[in-house]
Amino acid sequence: MSKKRDIAIIGIGMTKFGELFNQSYDDLVRDAATLAIKDAGIAMEDIQAAWLSTAFPEIGVFKGRSGMDLCEPLNLYDIPVTRVSNFCASGADAIRNAANALVAGECDVAMALGVEKLRDRTPQDSIVKMMVELTHPFYQKGFTAAGTFAVYANRIMHEYGVTKEDIANISVKNHYHGTLNDKAHHRIACTLEQVLASPMVADPLTVMDSCPTTDGAACVIMVRAEDVNKTKHRPVYIDGIGLSIATGWDLPFFDTKHDFLSFKATQNAAKMAYTQAGITKPIDEIDLVEVHDCFSIVELLTYEDLGLCKPGEAKDMIRGKATQLGGQIPVNVSGGLLSCGHPVGATGVRMVVEVASHLRGDAGERQVVGAKKGITHNIGGPGAIASVIVLNIEN
Amino acid sequence: MSTIKKYAVAFPHFRIADTTLHPRVRSKGNHAVCYTDEDIMTLAFEACSQLQLKSTGVDAILFASTTPVFKERYHASFLADLLELPQGILAFDFGGTSRAGTDALLLADTLVKSGAYRNVLLVAANVYYPAIGNETATPFGHAAVALLISNEDGIAEINDCQSFSAAIAEDFSYKGDNIQYDARFARTAGFVSNMATVLKKSNLYPTTVDALFLNSPYAKLAFGSLKKAGFNLETQLLKDTITPAVGYTGACHGLLQLISAIENRKGATLLFDYMNGTNLIRVTSTIEISKPVLNNLLFENVETYQDYLQLRKQGDFESRGYAAHEMFSSEMMQEREKDHLVYLKGYECSSCGTVYLMKAERCNHCHKSDFKKKQLSKTGKVFTLTSEHYFPASFTPTNMVVIDLDGGGRISVQQTDDMFQNEKTILKIGDGVRLVYRKMMENDKKPNYFWKCKKI
Repeated sequence: MSKKRDIAIIGIGMTKFGELFNQSYDDLVRDAATLAIKDAGIAMEDIQAAWLSTAFPEIGVFKGRSGMDLCEPLNLYDIPVTRVSNFCASGADAIRNAANALVAGECDVAMALGVEKLRDRTPQDSIVKMMVELTHPFYQKGFTAAGTFAVYANRIMHEYGVTKEDIANISVKNHYHGTLNDKAHHRIACTLEQVLASPMVADPLTVMDSCPTTDGAACVIMVRAEDVNKTKHRPVYIDGIGLSIATGWDLPFFDTKHDFLSFKATQNAAKMAYTQAGITKPIDEIDLVEVHDCFSIVELLTYEDLGLCKPGEAKDMIRGKATQLGGQIPVNVSGGLLSCGHPVGATGVRMVVEVASHLRGDAGERQVVGAKKGITHNIGGPGAIASVIVLNIEN
Repeated sequence: MSTIKKYAVAFPHFRIADTTLHPRVRSKGNHAVCYTDEDIMTLAFEACSQLQLKSTGVDAILFASTTPVFKERYHASFLADLLELPQGILAFDFGGTSRAGTDALLLADTLVKSGAYRNVLLVAANVYYPAIGNETATPFGHAAVALLISNEDGIAEINDCQSFSAAIAEDFSYKGDNIQYDARFARTAGFVSNMATVLKKSNLYPTTVDALFLNSPYAKLAFGSLKKAGFNLETQLLKDTITPAVGYTGACHGLLQLISAIENRKGATLLFDYMNGTNLIRVTSTIEISKPVLNNLLFENVETYQDYLQLRKQGDFESRGYAAHEMFSSEMMQEREKDHLVYLKGYECSSCGTVYLMKAERCNHCHKSDFKKKQLSKTGKVFTLTSEHYFPASFTPTNMVVIDLDGGGRISVQQTDDMFQNEKTILKIGDGVRLVYRKMMENDKKPNYFWKCKKI
């Protein structure tokens, strides 16, 4: 799709992200939804259709396997609700589907809600266990999520002269940003030495290069731009949405032409979103970026895939502190996944909430001053599926 | 005529010394021990793979082992399948005695000499562990041997094959313990009596052989009888050099002794293989072996008893934060995907030449849909890699390697035999590796196998 959809986000809400032992899946849905509805200044009855993003229902008590798991805690029945599952891009895909339905006229007010309840199990017993037990018995057996990205790290270190320190400095930056976010899972700054000395997960990625296992939910309420009531709402406009699946689960690991230096899915999604938004030089036109730093190496690679720099130059951006709060283009001022954690289905929506709050000037001490345009990025599956959303305070 | 046309042996990468098993033991023995992902089938497959059987027209397979007790996948039919032998091929199993290897040799010789079969693949494999704490009392060792018995010229001719039973209980194993009811009774009523029968009934003329092997724990008891029968023990009796090097290899041992004689060009060699009876085999080596293997075995030593205990777990994986995991497997999937999973048959795009292990409707690069089948290579170079510290394994980390195969195609597999991180195991981008077939997990009540890699 090359045409802009003319959609506005009129309400945002999110729970705290963390080890929410006292909150159930239903509690998280309820809290995120009511916050967003209140922010939009509407009533529950005004919602005409909804999209529920949960990536891994099997890790909890099978909550999130269909749209009804959004309906039940809200008593929101008799409307179409669809569960969206697209690995780490699930949340962004829920927003994309809601936007498309609004454009199509299926509904006038849409909700996109992402939620994941991972900490009813131990961290090792959740996504790690799923990759160990349920994947193909032989192909790629031995990889965890960290390993599937660590092979990119080793290749980019070999090809581009990136160092372990460059990768670890992503973690240092995002953990510092996390201290400024009261909804982040981890709010502890760290040093380069601490990142490098933390336990190895998948060489060269350490525990502090890896996002924690986290519970959380986030929600946005959307309408067509023409239906925005500017006196009632504080709209943020969606200028572009791109989503691309560029490989399968196995293909990079079995295709000799995959170079492990970039994510084609991100490049494709960015191209789609930029075309819709009319962005030609992202480094100059975008004020802040939320990037899918599930592992610190992914953020580094994504600078290049989003066109913020040329191939091989990402290390210079982190070395020059260009992506730190106050830098040329702040990346992950929320603290990113490394600090906020990664409740998978919720992350894409959480990023949109984060960027929208900056564009509205509500981001508190981590506010990117004067931000008018921002983008969110998710990648998952592993490296197969990517989404990019361009948000703008102006329409 | 029946000959040993080709042979191959396979030993594990690791070996442990008696002095490591028990620091105060005086014995200087060694034991070849399987890695956690090896078993009789992986060793048997490794030995058979060295024979390069593709064009040999194997028409029967005999599998001998003292290890399995009616266990799924531990049988000749499964091995035939792994080796891509023709469907419906004659596949027999031999077990229950350490003579199983030469039992199978007797039948192979009979089948070939009958004219009904031309190339019989004989495979013996043995993986046996004594009870924990009792290892130095048993000279155990893990190995596999593959012999192609043929009606064509070979490296040695099989002249005689006979068998003489003796149903006297002698040494046997029970639940990992070595059992002997009454040693004196077993040796006199069993071994000594049976050897006397063999020497009397077989009409042997000591002058017809150049060398003599007696494969039995009681060999010394028969020396007098052998002398009386006219053998010269000083010039004819061969010393067992295999047991001190790798341990006693059960069903493989008699066959390894024959190979040892052939490699050392001992001419006409007689083997007495004793256990609950005696198999008598006489072979004559016909050509010089250009690359003998038994005198050039290389092992990496297991350094501690704790490491050895980990090796013995045989796939009972543990890792930080994990209990034992039952990984998904599917008999249906493995049969359906056998071409990729076992035979490494891939696809080459007819248009751009990109090679894939798995095929999609269109080539990922030129988007054309015309492919031809391609046999992928089992060697290649490391494209990228990582070490997984949170994947459950007997020895963490699990090294994961993305390999670009020689001749095209990519595969991503675990590294194996990498318990110790040293110059033999540490991999980096660009290093050469070869694929080996190993056990991934034991689940669904059976072992499941796939390819792993080793540094070249």
